[in-house]
Amino acid sequence: MTQILSIGAPILELKDLSICLHHGKQHQILVHDLNLMLRPGETLALVGESGSGKSLTANAVLGLLGNSLQISGGQILVCGEDIVPWSDKERRKLRGTGIGLVFQDYQGSFTPFIKIGKQFVETLRSHNSLSVQEAKLQAMNWLGRVGLPAERVFNSYPFQLSGGQRQRAAIAAALMLKPSLLIADEPTTALDVLTSETVLDLLDELQSQTGCAILMISHDLRQVLKRADTIAVMKEGRIVESGAAEVIRTRPTHAYTKMLLKSRPLLTEIHAQLLAEEQALAGTGDRLA
Amino acid sequence: MRQLLNAEKLCKTYHRSGTAVEALQEVSLHIEVGECLGVVGESGSGKSTLGRILLALEKPDRGDVRLQDHSIIGLKGKALREVRKHIQVVFQDPTSSLNQRLPIWRSVIEALDNFPEITPPFLEDVRHSRRDTAAKLLEMVGLKAEHLDRYPHELSGGQRQRVAIARGISLMPKLLICDEPTSSLDVTVQAQILQLLKRMKMELGMACLFISHDIAAVRLMSDRIIVMKEGRILDQFASRDIMSDERHEYTRKLVAVVS
Amino acid sequence: MNLEAANRSYSVRARRNHWKVLLQFPTMGIGIALMSMILLLTFIGPLIVPNDPLTVVMSERLQSPSWQYPLGTDHMGRCIFSRLMAGAQITLGVSFLVILTVIIIGIPLGLVSGYVGGRLDAILMRFVDGLAALPEFIWVIAVSGFLGPSLTNMIFSIVMIKWIGYARMVRGIVLSEREKEYVLAATVAGTGTWKILSRHLLPQVISPVVILAALDIGKIILIISSLSYLGLGAQPPTPEWGAMLNDGRPYFQTIPELMIYPGVAIMLVVISCNLIGDGLRDYLDVRSR
Repeated sequence: MTQILSIGAPILELKDLSICLHHGKQHQILVHDLNLMLRPGETLALVGESGSGKSLTANAVLGLLGNSLQISGGQILVCGEDIVPWSDKERRKLRGTGIGLVFQDYQGSFTPFIKIGKQFVETLRSHNSLSVQEAKLQAMNWLGRVGLPAERVFNSYPFQLSGGQRQRAAIAAALMLKPSLLIADEPTTALDVLTSETVLDLLDELQSQTGCAILMISHDLRQVLKRADTIAVMKEGRIVESGAAEVIRTRPTHAYTKMLLKSRPLLTEIHAQLLAEEQALAGTGDRLA
Repeated sequence: MRQLLNAEKLCKTYHRSGTAVEALQEVSLHIEVGECLGVVGESGSGKSTLGRILLALEKPDRGDVRLQDHSIIGLKGKALREVRKHIQVVFQDPTSSLNQRLPIWRSVIEALDNFPEITPPFLEDVRHSRRDTAAKLLEMVGLKAEHLDRYPHELSGGQRQRVAIARGISLMPKLLICDEPTSSLDVTVQAQILQLLKRMKMELGMACLFISHDIAAVRLMSDRIIVMKEGRILDQFASRDIMSDERHEYTRKLVAVVS
Repeated sequence: MNLEAANRSYSVRARRNHWKVLLQFPTMGIGIALMSMILLLTFIGPLIVPNDPLTVVMSERLQSPSWQYPLGTDHMGRCIFSRLMAGAQITLGVSFLVILTVIIIGIPLGLVSGYVGGRLDAILMRFVDGLAALPEFIWVIAVSGFLGPSLTNMIFSIVMIKWIGYARMVRGIVLSEREKEYVLAATVAGTGTWKILSRHLLPQVISPVVILAALDIGKIILIISSLSYLGLGAQPPTPEWGAMLNDGRPYFQTIPELMIYPGVAIMLVVISCNLIGDGLRDYLDVRSR
């Protein structure tokens, strides 16, 4: 099924996208001539350190650039249509139904003083013509699908949930509008390692069910290697290397990609190297003795 | 091996808005001279509380901490000052662990200012001048003299953490407690900071307590590892045995994620 | 070598352009300009006044403005202009004295109370609780009424009530700052309590205290004037603005100028203090620069 889908026309395509920061009369280009393509059912990971422009790129797609930032060139094609010239209103509609969003800061995903269930129902009803009852059913269904105790979470305030639970709820909220593209901006950076894994597993599973494309923004190349189909490594506003995850993992060509991989070696690699060092030391010790 | 620090059956309960959180339940550990002990755990495992108690910033409800056979619990004044000479710290977030209003060199030199009687061997030739001393310390952690008069916000996260490490080693403590020293940094910078810490530990012969949620980093740094969850020690082993079948199920889960 | 170069470049960087700041924060600029004019008049005023502010000339009472009496005379035939000038020294002098004393008492007590806690903290908090029972102004009236009407008693009573607010604010800041890692790091570095208070915590409270003081000075001038107006402050024949308001009260219907002149003087000072206070708040807030 996903096989067939992934041959389809691209959901998202960036063509020579440049983003520019205006500071008084000066301006500075923060993202240079970015080219990306994302097909249905695919996961594309945009990897880079802080200041690399990866989040800016995601915000540009969402139309959430601040006043001082501007798209200075290129196109953002969503389902083949350039959305750069779109009005705010059209973009807002796109954010609602076409593109879903999961933030790093799961506390910011929900209004703190309104119960989760009520927020779900309101979101559903503002995009679809549903009765309260129907919306509630759908909301409960989605909470169940992300592995949460639906009844309890529906009647909880955001602060009553743990970080992992809130991030699951945020994923449910983003996916229940059936977007064809989900943008996940550092979705697990604020979570513990084990919780991160389960959240990423969940994203994988839901993706195979819904067939949506995922644009994943991350600073941790090692973590997304296992998850993404394609990876684009960004540095200082430019993509320095991109390709299939497997190729990046086994045969990275750019020095920066290699450094990213080297700075986050697998535990098994660390372990093997340390053991070897230990033996070498013991060896020299023996010889000296 | 000589034992440097010994903690016995530490218990600590916090009371927050009516509910009691048992941060530490009967935690015992020891650290040997020059050894690095790693503590792995997720948030809420009590690993940071453990660090604060060993730093004598908090008192345990029960239990004892002994530094070379002298209890450090409830010390005040001179006796506490004596302990501070030997146990120093590097915190997680250098943005908040450096005073934003002080230039770098004043932060670096702070501990040495408090203990004028201490001159570590690596500072012998510069100790007469505070600025030269600060410059030497910065140089040791890979910064330059030009950083002396900068303010924390003018440095990158990695540079700030280097400053915090310079301050941590300045007294040449017997034990350096590193509480998630890389968690707030970019991945490439994390690796550099870990290398720096490892080098400092070797050069100065310090013991380390390395607290982190990242088991790969802990393996890299430590000789022995303690795994904590919900205030208890679940597993404890020599670092080289991390892949062994005898590991606790929880440890194996943590290992699997980064393998 | 390198160290010297660092020292040199630092002294260059330290020379910032302070005049630009005034353009960036125009309210503060206007406030400072206004306040400088008032202070100038306060200092040179007594030297240029045409008449002695205390001389009673009953035959010349309630005169209209003339060359001899630029603003006319009051009900005792004293030159209003001369009294305003002389009164400025008392009103401004007393309020600056009050604010200075309040800061000198409030900062150390707040610092120690917040950082050390213990009995001092408990006593301070009881004071705060008690004070909250009634408006500040009522307390000042009660205390100065109890001590009897005089300028010194009035100063004493305002200080007695005002320092608590400052101590409480400083205490609040210290309570939140002392848990931060830079304070913990200093503690671990062996820094003693007094040094932590003076080097790490005092700088954190200075700017909010200065802002509060600038905003408060207007309020204190109003309190002084009100107390004098009520007969609890400066005693006749001392020329104080509030007392002058009081003196003009019986003639309000027929000769309102007697109240308008000191009223406007008070208003100008209060406005300039508030402008400076608002400006300082923006200027010292790092985020706004």
